[in-house]
Amino acid sequence: MIALRDAMLDFVADLRAAGVRISVAESIDAMKAVAAVGLVRRRMREALATALIKEEADRAIFDEIFARRFAGGSPAMREAHRSRGGYAGVEGTSGGPSDSVTSPAARDRRDDPEEAPASATTAREPSPPNRDPVQESKAQKSFDSAEPDDGEVGESEAPGGAAGVASSTDEADAAMADADAARDRSDADAESDGIEAGRAARLRTIERLPFARYSEVEFEAARDTLAALKRRFRIRVSRRLRIAGTGRIDFRRTIRASLQHGGALGDLRFRARRPRHIDLLILADISGSVNYASTLMLEITAGARDCFRRVRSFVYVDRLAEAGFERGHLAMTPMLDLYARSDFGRVLAEVWERRAALVTRATVIVIMGDGRNNRRPARADLLRDLARLSRAVLWLIPEPQTRWNTGDSAIRQYARAVTALIPCENLRELERGLARVS
Amino acid sequence: MDVTQEFVAAGLRRAQYITNERVETAVFLALALDKPLLIEGPAGAGKTEVAKVLAEMLRTELIRLQCYEGLDEARALYEWNYQKQLLRLQADEHQGLHWEELSEHLFSREYLLERPLLRAISAPRKVVLLIDEIDKADEEFEAFLLELLSDFQVSVPELGTVRAHERPAVVLTSNRARELSDALRRRCLHLFIDFPGIEQERRIIELKVPGLDARLAGEAARLVNAMRKLDLRKPPSIAETLDWTRALVRLGIKELDTPSIRATLGVLLKHEDDRARVEAKAPALAARPR
Repeated sequence: MIALRDAMLDFVADLRAAGVRISVAESIDAMKAVAAVGLVRRRMREALATALIKEEADRAIFDEIFARRFAGGSPAMREAHRSRGGYAGVEGTSGGPSDSVTSPAARDRRDDPEEAPASATTAREPSPPNRDPVQESKAQKSFDSAEPDDGEVGESEAPGGAAGVASSTDEADAAMADADAARDRSDADAESDGIEAGRAARLRTIERLPFARYSEVEFEAARDTLAALKRRFRIRVSRRLRIAGTGRIDFRRTIRASLQHGGALGDLRFRARRPRHIDLLILADISGSVNYASTLMLEITAGARDCFRRVRSFVYVDRLAEAGFERGHLAMTPMLDLYARSDFGRVLAEVWERRAALVTRATVIVIMGDGRNNRRPARADLLRDLARLSRAVLWLIPEPQTRWNTGDSAIRQYARAVTALIPCENLRELERGLARVS
Repeated sequence: MDVTQEFVAAGLRRAQYITNERVETAVFLALALDKPLLIEGPAGAGKTEVAKVLAEMLRTELIRLQCYEGLDEARALYEWNYQKQLLRLQADEHQGLHWEELSEHLFSREYLLERPLLRAISAPRKVVLLIDEIDKADEEFEAFLLELLSDFQVSVPELGTVRAHERPAVVLTSNRARELSDALRRRCLHLFIDFPGIEQERRIIELKVPGLDARLAGEAARLVNAMRKLDLRKPPSIAETLDWTRALVRLGIKELDTPSIRATLGVLLKHEDDRARVEAKAPALAARPR
């Protein structure tokens, strides 16, 4: 029983190590879920997934770890079998299901006459730690063959007879794990093509991949999955712009609403913030180090242009060029030398010269760059002045935080001048950073 | 009521909801552990239907809260009936009542308009509460839901705390128009309902459109499945598949060839660019796999 609990905790630990976020409350829910559905392999898998996996994109990781941890021949599953009938102990640990709910496994045990041999094995003492693996393998096989769970839990016949001829427990376990994984996959295939789940999984993987590890392949994959991000950004921006719970009171609508309440002004209505109130000025570094992040950001913001009054997008290396998207490709005027040495100080001087046309009190300036200036003058004073003229300056930095302020980075100087310095090492962080625009 | 996984499976079958073990387990656990069930998945995959079927299964009332931008507590939880309160005030005006006596009347349950959340909590028996398209509500409303979903109680300042006599079975659905908070996810069990596979969809069609030839049902399921893989702006939902197959029956179409597919695409696809894309591929889609 305790070993089963430990196996579950190890399983949760494995999931956490693989990047799945699981709270303590969720792991307790998982224990309760297993107590409720019993130890039939497929039910247990689905119960654990329901309690632990809150994003479908994590399901593939879950299935892989489940197949490894709870393979038919694995120690965890063996212990699970031994403690069958003792899952009340799991309940005792973490609270059980509602009284009115009867576990199917428990009912299986009551109703199914074939359960008797398996029940007999529950009383079996755990084998000593230095047991003979061949003997154990045989014992395991005989134990598994007594299982009545539709051939699911501890099924001893792996495809190709792997379990039957395995000469050691490890090999048998590995073969069973493979067989279980294959069966899990075929179950899933039989139920659904997983079209949307597959999309979600791809999106999630690429969303979490740091820009620093991008090659052309990852970049193209990111662009393929960008539609969902563009849609979410657009919705977020348009929603934020429409919501108005505070601010200037809309008297006409407030008076109209008060008529319902006999003229009492209890239901205040506010003027909606309108898209025209925000201008966006984007400055994106497209030198080699941050090119991918900048291009993706420009593409995401291009999809929400009509949510703002005016959007001006520029790319830079050592000088400024107006940017746009033509047939899905970044186009700049004039063309920049992408191999020039980055000089954001000079770019700031250009923006300052054109400030009358580019910057108003309604402008939010978004800068994407690593702040590496090749030891040229940073001109942070100009950035400070621009911040004074505009509504806000947001700096998105795709470089890992450990590299900030190292080498030729002038980010410390710029950080003092901007409204917010936002790390955005991957697409997910980029999306969060861009949400600050509204 | 003795709720078992078999009871859930039988209930889903009885309600003609063709599904798989994943859905059955999730619904069973939501009832067994008294936890809200968050269902995500593409639009039209049958998320809302789970709540309806659950209410049918438990033979209880379904209380639905449709979420939208700007939804607030007043519309979701409760509101005071101002008109009625004003009438009462005017009626009591000449009786010279003290404020204490007056307010006792004015802020009693008689003047409270219960909205779906309060109705679900104060219901005398277990009901099913469907919070539909939670992703369309604002983040502030989502935060407000957290207390409700944890403790199943709400505070009405004038009346005190209202606790659920019987915890409602809560189903939340989301199309992922925006990311839901981790806090909300943590409080719920999770279920992702994807589009069904070809075989499952064929069974759904056969069940819901009885007049359709079995071979044509299989063809239709295969074709819709292939369309969903084309990365369309809005892939056809199950409901649209059923509408389409009903249209095939009404039009007397016996064979899914290129002209018949093109003629009926409007039932399946609701975006012009999606339609153009599928029309271009119609001959390939119509060809049967060998």
